[in-house]
Amino acid sequence: MPELAVKNLKKQFGDNTVLHDNTFTIEDGEFFTLLGPSGCGKSTTLNCIAGLERPTGGSITVDGTTFVDQEKGVFLQPEERNLGMVFQSYALWPHMTIAKNLALPLNIRKVDKAQQKTLIHDALDKVGLADLSGRYPHQLSGGQQQRVALARALVYSPTMLLLDEPLSNLDAKLREQARAWLKRLQTDLGITTVYVTHDQDEALALSDRIAVMSGGHMMQVADPHSIYERPATPEVAAFVGRCNFFQGKVEQSSGNVHTVRLEANGEAVHVDADLDVAPGQGVTVAIRPERLEVVPAGSEVAGTNRLDTEVLTSSYVGSHYEYDVRLGHQVVQVESQRPGLSGRVQLVFEPAGALLYAEKVELSAEERDLLTVS
Amino acid sequence: MATLTETPPPASHDQPPEFRTPRYRRPLGIGRDQLTMYGVLAVLAILVLAPVVPTLIQSVIDRPLYEDGGVLTLEGYRALFTDSGFGEVIWNTLLFAALTTVLSIVIAVPMAVVVVRTRLPGGRLVALAMQWPFFISSLILGFGWILMYGPAGFISVQFEQAFGGVPWNLYSIPGMAVTEAVALAPIAYVFCANALRQSDASLESAAQVCGAGPVRILFQVIVPMLRPPVVYSSILIFSMSVETLSVPLLYGQPVGISVFSTFLYKNGLQSVDPDYTVLGAASVVILLVTISLVALQAKLLKDAARFVSVRGKATRPRKLELGWVKYVSVGFIAFYVVFGALIPILGLVFRSFTLIFTPLRNPFDFLTMKNYETVFQFESYRQSIVNSLIVAGVGSVLVSSLAVMAVMVARRSTFRFGRAVEYLALIPQSVPGIIIGIGFFWAFAFAPFGSGTLLQGTLGALIIAFGLRALPSAFGSVAPSIMQIGQELDNAARVSGADWLMTFFRVLRVLVTPAFAGALVLTFVIMLKEYSPAVFLSSADSNILGTTMLELWAQGRTGSVAALASIQIIITAVFVALAGLLMKGKHHA
Repeated sequence: MPELAVKNLKKQFGDNTVLHDNTFTIEDGEFFTLLGPSGCGKSTTLNCIAGLERPTGGSITVDGTTFVDQEKGVFLQPEERNLGMVFQSYALWPHMTIAKNLALPLNIRKVDKAQQKTLIHDALDKVGLADLSGRYPHQLSGGQQQRVALARALVYSPTMLLLDEPLSNLDAKLREQARAWLKRLQTDLGITTVYVTHDQDEALALSDRIAVMSGGHMMQVADPHSIYERPATPEVAAFVGRCNFFQGKVEQSSGNVHTVRLEANGEAVHVDADLDVAPGQGVTVAIRPERLEVVPAGSEVAGTNRLDTEVLTSSYVGSHYEYDVRLGHQVVQVESQRPGLSGRVQLVFEPAGALLYAEKVELSAEERDLLTVS
Repeated sequence: MATLTETPPPASHDQPPEFRTPRYRRPLGIGRDQLTMYGVLAVLAILVLAPVVPTLIQSVIDRPLYEDGGVLTLEGYRALFTDSGFGEVIWNTLLFAALTTVLSIVIAVPMAVVVVRTRLPGGRLVALAMQWPFFISSLILGFGWILMYGPAGFISVQFEQAFGGVPWNLYSIPGMAVTEAVALAPIAYVFCANALRQSDASLESAAQVCGAGPVRILFQVIVPMLRPPVVYSSILIFSMSVETLSVPLLYGQPVGISVFSTFLYKNGLQSVDPDYTVLGAASVVILLVTISLVALQAKLLKDAARFVSVRGKATRPRKLELGWVKYVSVGFIAFYVVFGALIPILGLVFRSFTLIFTPLRNPFDFLTMKNYETVFQFESYRQSIVNSLIVAGVGSVLVSSLAVMAVMVARRSTFRFGRAVEYLALIPQSVPGIIIGIGFFWAFAFAPFGSGTLLQGTLGALIIAFGLRALPSAFGSVAPSIMQIGQELDNAARVSGADWLMTFFRVLRVLVTPAFAGALVLTFVIMLKEYSPAVFLSSADSNILGTTMLELWAQGRTGSVAALASIQIIITAVFVALAGLLMKGKHHA
């Protein structure tokens, strides 16, 4: 069954390495997402799988067929890999009708006309556009074009489906609906799917597993729940969802509970994390905005960690409130259901609600400017 | 009629049908894609090297290439720089090119600024009028100028009668430079105007908000932005005037002023016993000059920006109000268009309808169609019109097809030598037409098994030489249009199972058609006007409009020249108009 194995995949442009020896496998029928900011190498990885780019090192094997193996000098052209791919721009051939767009890959495979007709109808039916087969691409809306592109990629029953940010050109509302629809379709078909996106919500909602990429490295490959709840590095935590970072020093540890004195205000907090640290070691405490509770100063709310702060700004965003509070010189972001807090407040969080990392988080100059107050 | 056809079982959702994965044969690891790409590379390499390599060899061989027993020598280079008068030729060329460049810029820059950035009555008309050199070759412009402003020219004589003397002398280096500058100024204009159109109008708004007036904005914001297009077009114009043949030939020959091109013309064609070694050496030296100029140009203008003149979505810049200055500008522009182009060309056309053309007698008394009758009566003149049409017609189709393939290989494939293909297609830009002529002349003499004699003196030879000359323009016109077609369309076809060739024929061919048609029109007009390689390559049977006009001009048969020139202008205009109509019609369909 189609199982994709990527070994030591490497891509260099001159001195610039865009992929660093990445190794991963994708199981049969899995929905696998490459997630990362632009320039992280996710599209390059996808193009290497599709054969549109030739890696400078490593190998890709699907189900016993070697797509590329740089050591052995093997490279299968994209047309010989039998994959289906949907592009960001949909890439529907503008001078052909929808039916003709779907017919081309079938013609290449020498499928006879009668069967072509059935297959095209079936494929368009799957995406709910069977009655539009005579139209030209420019006569369709963006969402319809995206579905036609998907039908074209599926009509010849490829071994795998590659999706390169297929939803990014849709407007926000439609994107959410298309996401759910795509998930249902993929589950129905059971086709192995590699999905590329920079949208973390999309990745979390759709995937069986996610590979978070940054600077050509795979930071973490795991299921959505682990990615969000137990990010492997501060970078993953910052990219998937929002996160506050505090620098601190370990004072003492008992089991998995570590006492960390924060640099920002000099107070100590308890963090429950499976990390081997020694007293005196510099660490980073990471807390997501929704894991922080903000309460008026002096109110009786249970919670192990309490930090005295002051509200800088409060914004109403519909489903909840967002507060920027001050901790020393640092700005901390908090999500809360409590309206109208101002002045002195307390931040409360559970030891298990925070994450602990041994590495120091280097903010970019711009972030530092925005997250520092005098 | 067959009652039953075996229909394959309908595809069920649970078990998708398995299709044969497309396979393409690759004997020895080279498939048809690779074969095509190497083919394009080979054709270009042969085309470009054919005229250059024999020239290099000839420059160091002591006798004509086609004679046996040649001995290696540097005598050609020694002779060139000692006793051939080449030093003066270099000086003349530099002076001519420098003057032409300065004058073109002086004409073009103010015009571009005024037309694009100020409220000017008839601005669009000017923009349109600046396209005239596309229709009219510099050879024809030279004829027109001589008829009007030459020593016995229509306007010169009138001026002399009115003021007792003429303050200008057309048959001089400044005279040559003025004419050439008039012909080349539109190039600088186009570069500057495009740069101005593309520049961000908010820069000016920002200056205005800061309190700057129109004049200050003009000189402190707009003009400094023009430095890149000015530098680039200066080099382009300089290199074009280094290689031009027409004006130096018409003006310089009678009074003995030689520049690079006329030096080759004189020594190669007019001397009784041409010294091919010296000719080869001179060609190599000139080639070095033009190639380094183009290399400089390429270095200044980074890769993609090479096609700057055809790129760009025009934003609508705010226009400045200049007050009285605008009337001065309008006067200046009108003077350039009317006296530079309109009067000489109309004069030439008028000349084709009269027997005598001088202000001393009323030319309307001698109106006649006789010039045209002569042209159509003589088989060889009529033939040259037909030849020109054949060369331009067949040549433009071949060159445009080659250009499309070259762009596809260079920009739309993973071919290892894609860059080489692009460079080969653009190199001919730096080879003067007359050297292409000499080079192919030697190449045909040099070709193995006498295969060159099959082409020597035929229209085929002209099509190859003119085609090579037009190739960079064709490439430059096709490349941006093809680059506008999204790369993902190719990728989608490749992933769906089409190889590179099939992607081109099944998907891209239709999308590329407009670019191909555009290149077709462009190269047809270029090849119809072209003649300089033909002075060495054409025989009595393969004369074209340009060479016939030169011949007739030398014989003093100005009327026939005027008639042929008018015919060439009309063919160009009609062709462009028809092409425009056709493409427009297709666009609406």
